Amino acid sequence: MTLRLETKKLKRTRYFPAFLAGGLLAAAFPLINMLVRSESFTALPGEPFTILMDANWQMMAMLNILVCICGACMMYHTEYADNGAQKMDVLPVRAGKLFLTKFVVNALALALMIILETAALTWCAVHWFSGYEFDALELLQGAGFQWFVTLPTVMLMLVIASACKNMWVSLGIGVVLVFTMCIFPQDNLILSLCPFSSPYQTLAMAAESSRVPLFLGVCAAEVVVLGLLGLVYQKIRRCAE
Amino acid sequence: MNIIETQNLTKTYGDFTAVSHLNLHIRKGRVYGFLGPNGAGKSTTMKMFLGLTHPTKGSFQIDGKTYPADRVPILKEIGSFIEAPAFYGNLTGEENLEIIRKILGLPKSSVSDALELVGLTQFRKRLAKKYSLGMKQRLGLAGALIGRPPILILDEPTNGLDPVGIHEIRTLIKSLPQQYDCTVLVSSHLLPEVELMADDIGILNHGRLLFEGTMEELKTNARCAGLPTDNLEDTFLAMIDEDNRKGGAGK
Repeated sequence: MTLRLETKKLKRTRYFPAFLAGGLLAAAFPLINMLVRSESFTALPGEPFTILMDANWQMMAMLNILVCICGACMMYHTEYADNGAQKMDVLPVRAGKLFLTKFVVNALALALMIILETAALTWCAVHWFSGYEFDALELLQGAGFQWFVTLPTVMLMLVIASACKNMWVSLGIGVVLVFTMCIFPQDNLILSLCPFSSPYQTLAMAAESSRVPLFLGVCAAEVVVLGLLGLVYQKIRRCAE
Repeated sequence: MNIIETQNLTKTYGDFTAVSHLNLHIRKGRVYGFLGPNGAGKSTTMKMFLGLTHPTKGSFQIDGKTYPADRVPILKEIGSFIEAPAFYGNLTGEENLEIIRKILGLPKSSVSDALELVGLTQFRKRLAKKYSLGMKQRLGLAGALIGRPPILILDEPTNGLDPVGIHEIRTLIKSLPQQYDCTVLVSSHLLPEVELMADDIGILNHGRLLFEGTMEELKTNARCAGLPTDNLEDTFLAMIDEDNRKGGAGK
């Protein structure tokens, strides 16, 4: 029921169109890349899907992060703009439950984006790389990995957005974090495990250094820790109004 | 029987005491007018009842339930309107109430019932952000009245309403205990309004309760103390003035 309620609250906020548009834009990136310079990629040795991921994922992941930032900001702007959050605080519903449901909505919307992007990458591989036959399970594993390593970013952004009544402040913090993490070297293991940096990791990159379980484990721990932080904050916020 | 009772309820912010050792007794089925100048602690007290702020000291019971252990069961029984209307501007009036209805697990008819009560039926499909101030106030009230809760906590419910709206809301609040067997705790700066709708009165100044009782008891007390008793406004102002002179302000 809470999931339906949280989805209903987003009516007319253009939240879902934003995710759809973000997903389509990110999906268009490899298509345009291949249309413009397909020879550069088809000539490369290796797995077609991995080649495409290496060539496009950095930009696609950045778009995913930016859309997740916008999504979290829109969600809490809706709550704070006309005191909707205050009304929720005086109703018999736990603020923590609403926070976690918001995370689920964001995670599902992100999944939609990643499905679109994976479909576009697969189509590019089939169209431009002769002899490429896609393995559905492999694609699912890849998409699942990209989704999972983005979840700490989604959770952290939700915590930030819930803490800022002014949407522009949370949006600004999110954008600053995106570009700050961008300038750090991606080969630094510790940094690559942080939220806003982990989404740039691809399954192939992680598998090459046998770090898939490490990424999955650390990201799961980050989601849990940030989630607990969010839950504690919701309790403090309610009583500090 | 008291439906709301407080024992030495106190709230301090640093070295400022917003509410000091408050002992309220709100009787079931009555309209309780909560009066006090700005900053007297009315909203803070109401917020404590709703779990929006923690008491520093003391305790309170609502319908036999104690905060904080029974916060959620307490909230199930209270309809509230605190300070300003709270709603989702991107949703229509009806959609806003629908969200509250679902959380409270009320029947579908409760939405139209609440809209009807506050006179918003014809504007139910309009986005809440496009409502006028008075309409937003009515929507806030509808959000408090939905499901006809046994306890209503209303903080300045007539703010922003025109004289006709004030009269309608006053008549509505006054009729609620008889119609739905509910108890109303209402604060207002409009003293004549409180005089017309409240059965019992609590006067607060600098967080301390100066008086609690019926309107008749207030008049008797004021007469004994040599204060004017012509109308509530004169009595209230004289009472606050005397308390300030006695050192209430120097707290």
